[in-house]
Amino acid sequence: MLTKLTGGCLYDPANGVDGEVRDLYIRDGHILDGPPAESPDRTYDLTGKLVMAGAIDLHTHIGGGKVNIARAMLPELQGRDDATSRSGGRYSFGPATPSTLATGYRYAQMGYTSCFEPAVLPVNARQAHMEMADAPLLDTGGYAMLGNDDLLLQLMSEGVGQEVINDYVAWTLRATQCIGIKVVNPGGISAFKFNTRKLDVDERHPHYPLTPRDIVRTLSRAVAELGMPHPLHVHASNLGVPGNQTSTLATMEAAEGFPIHLTHIQFHSYGTEGERHFSSAAAEIAEAVNRQKNVTIDVGQIMFGQTVTISGDTMRQHANRRFAHPRKWTCMDIECEAGCGVVPFRYRDKNFVNALQWAIGLELFLMIDDPWRVFLTTDHPNGAPFTSYPHLIRLLTDKGFRNDQLACIHPDAAAMSRLAGLDREYSLYEIAIMTRAAPARILGLTDRGHLGPGALADITVYHERPDAEQTFGSPMLVFKGGQVVVEEGQVTRTLSGSTQVVRPDYDRRIEQRIGDWLDRYHSVRMGNFRISDEEMAEGIGSPVQVHPCRPRGSA
Amino acid sequence: MWSTEAKSADSVLTCPFCGLACDDLSVAPGEQGPKVDARGCGLAARSFAEALGGASAPAAIRGQPASLEQVLDHGAALLRGASAPLFAGLATDVNGMRAMLELAERCGAVLDHLNGDALFRNLLVLQEHGWLTGTFAEVRNRADLILVAGTECFERFPRLSERLLYPPDALFSPPRERQLVLIGPWADRQTPAELPKSQTTVLPLDLKDLAGLMGILRGLLAKRPLQLGGGFAGIATERLADLAERLRGARYSVLVWSAAELAFPHAELTVRALVELVRDLNEETRAAALPLAGSLGDVTANQVCTWQTGYPLRSGFQQGGPRYEPILYRHQDLLSRGETDLLLWISALSPAAGPPSTQVPTILLGNPGTAPAEPVEAFIPVGIPGIDHPGHWYRSDTVCTLPLGRVRDSTLLPAAEVLHLLKKRL
Repeated sequence: MLTKLTGGCLYDPANGVDGEVRDLYIRDGHILDGPPAESPDRTYDLTGKLVMAGAIDLHTHIGGGKVNIARAMLPELQGRDDATSRSGGRYSFGPATPSTLATGYRYAQMGYTSCFEPAVLPVNARQAHMEMADAPLLDTGGYAMLGNDDLLLQLMSEGVGQEVINDYVAWTLRATQCIGIKVVNPGGISAFKFNTRKLDVDERHPHYPLTPRDIVRTLSRAVAELGMPHPLHVHASNLGVPGNQTSTLATMEAAEGFPIHLTHIQFHSYGTEGERHFSSAAAEIAEAVNRQKNVTIDVGQIMFGQTVTISGDTMRQHANRRFAHPRKWTCMDIECEAGCGVVPFRYRDKNFVNALQWAIGLELFLMIDDPWRVFLTTDHPNGAPFTSYPHLIRLLTDKGFRNDQLACIHPDAAAMSRLAGLDREYSLYEIAIMTRAAPARILGLTDRGHLGPGALADITVYHERPDAEQTFGSPMLVFKGGQVVVEEGQVTRTLSGSTQVVRPDYDRRIEQRIGDWLDRYHSVRMGNFRISDEEMAEGIGSPVQVHPCRPRGSA
Repeated sequence: MWSTEAKSADSVLTCPFCGLACDDLSVAPGEQGPKVDARGCGLAARSFAEALGGASAPAAIRGQPASLEQVLDHGAALLRGASAPLFAGLATDVNGMRAMLELAERCGAVLDHLNGDALFRNLLVLQEHGWLTGTFAEVRNRADLILVAGTECFERFPRLSERLLYPPDALFSPPRERQLVLIGPWADRQTPAELPKSQTTVLPLDLKDLAGLMGILRGLLAKRPLQLGGGFAGIATERLADLAERLRGARYSVLVWSAAELAFPHAELTVRALVELVRDLNEETRAAALPLAGSLGDVTANQVCTWQTGYPLRSGFQQGGPRYEPILYRHQDLLSRGETDLLLWISALSPAAGPPSTQVPTILLGNPGTAPAEPVEAFIPVGIPGIDHPGHWYRSDTVCTLPLGRVRDSTLLPAAEVLHLLKKRL
């Protein structure tokens, strides 16, 4: 079957195409190199439409234990789904805690075709993958959490060489079928289990002779030396704490020049100025990101309204329990690996702190120069549900609209923010960078995020509407692997995706150490810890697609 | 580990017969079929022997043996004709539950697990207040003071002491220094022999007084003036004060219970009291709850239902999208009130978990050892996950899904496949 998309205006930054009218040809799920000899079976006239690759969310909590705890704890946030009822399907829809089916449909309805769960607990990896397998229309992947697991902390404390750490990291990736490594509050989740309530970047862990800085340095180096495309994905220390800009800057330095991705950096860009001792440090953070080319970030923008915060950061989630709305929360210490905390939250535009958080996120978007190094996220659902992306895109592309919104928030917060003075408006090309080309590049996915020959035919076609929220909220067409799955904002076909992984080599001798450790202290045997490719395909329901790494040691 | 090949020799095996999901069992070929080393667990040894030794009851319509095709056709006709079907039991693996949800949506069915009552004693508290819990490896390695509420945990979860409470080895809390406090109707019962007497305190208590005890401990910890007089429910004031002090002094205390044992009205209020003590303790020190569950797949069924529909069990599809009714959709009540006209019951894990006696026409997808006490409309034997086919299931602490292997060659279909065949016929 040959499909032709004709007359559309392409935004394809990976190939340097900035709003040019070009035709695309699709066969066998991929984009062809130029027009083939035969005539197409199906032609779509896209004259006047915007054409981009399918969007990629590199940080969204869509699968795994803590997401399901949020669903189970908060049935009142679910509701009947009217917008997508025509697609049928067994799901309700609460934007903050969507079912897996709703997650897949809603993402597809916004033109997203690949999503990455950023906090996969190794012992919970099966569940994360099973949930993502049940999110239709999406290819998925996960980042395995390390850096609070007792085995890594033990190995580092013993002073084993970097090579051994690298083997352990590579083994973990393989065992959990993940594409990246995440560290959440380095050492802090573990420290909380020893009743430590705060751990600064250079503070010693209560049990191990290590600091968060040591953990970030060791893991970022491991990820680089293993040749993994995605840098160490870091949820830094002191999330949400006024004045945490210092620890955020220190965390960037801790990577010592190795690539590092700081996630939901909005929650880590706070100063202590003003009479409320809470201020924006977006300028300082943006300056540091602009200067240090090894650093990438995603924002974790907040939006006003009800949501739920779900995080592996038990230390900080427990500290934030008193802000729970509605007033209930769950925390969990998990398997000598990490933890999780689920705290429902309602951000209010008339609350000074929330209003300033909103402004800080936007300041970061607008003050970080390079759109290849800043990613559009709300840390779904922590800052806001992912369904708010179209609104966020309008805030970034439309200064008049942004300033109107700014006029509605707590006046003291508006006064303390530089937002009113920031004139930048993101172009469609830049939006395409931060939602397509850049996430594909930083995840090492050469087969997507662009419209060049050979690319997977994950394609989104938008009507150009008067405002960007309308444009990006309801695409005309979404192709997944060459098949139309969404038409005029409605899901018209459902299909399942695959799991994206990378697989650096490791020395098999590490398995002896890991196996002994698991047998002696843990509750699962190594053979059961590890998820095989067959299990992914047949049991879990999401076959694995392996993406290349650079050769080990080439960093 | 995922293979449709039967295990050949000495493979490590996961046990599907209680919520501890021990994965260190092994299987070796024997003269009369595979032999399982249950690592000293009586429940596992018995259950495996029963499952591996028993003959399979044939598919049947109203007790008369029939071909699989005939029973599937009959079952599908029953499903088509039902206006308010109830899908319950749900003792199955992850893929069985996935298939059950697909069929439930198609048929407009209500879903409940046979352990629904126990499940909801905990879930209602999670939904009202939230909680703070730990997992197996945390308890094993970290707990220095463990309170076990109830006596049945040790029977329901036979290797509880060995694996969690008093393990041979631990990272941060030496087993020989741990304190164990057994609270419950122990007065005329032997405490578990595997727990060291010198480290074990027994507080005999009627479980209905558990919530009261938790309240008193919270009061003592908060240094509230309490008029205890002669103690509480037979526990002397000094012992209460001593326990409060031990909780205050512990580095990481753990409260263990099995909601199934709290079988009295409004036991969720007792669970809430346990949870609130844990929350209070965490203001100053560390503590965690460990609610034991998961036997017969209740955690599994609930997890899958929650991620696919957005709601826990006791959800239904009678009105299009899912609707959650934790009180109204209790399967026993739906049956006794005549609010359902067809029961589809899955009991793949244990022959003991057959359907309740009811006048409502019943389709049973049962463990091969299940011989329905009264003939049901349609009976289809299905494989046991972990014995007849590979699968996944959750253990008690909800974070860990274990792969179940296949022990023997079997012609029995997995429940998931039978459900797909039924759906195809609708």
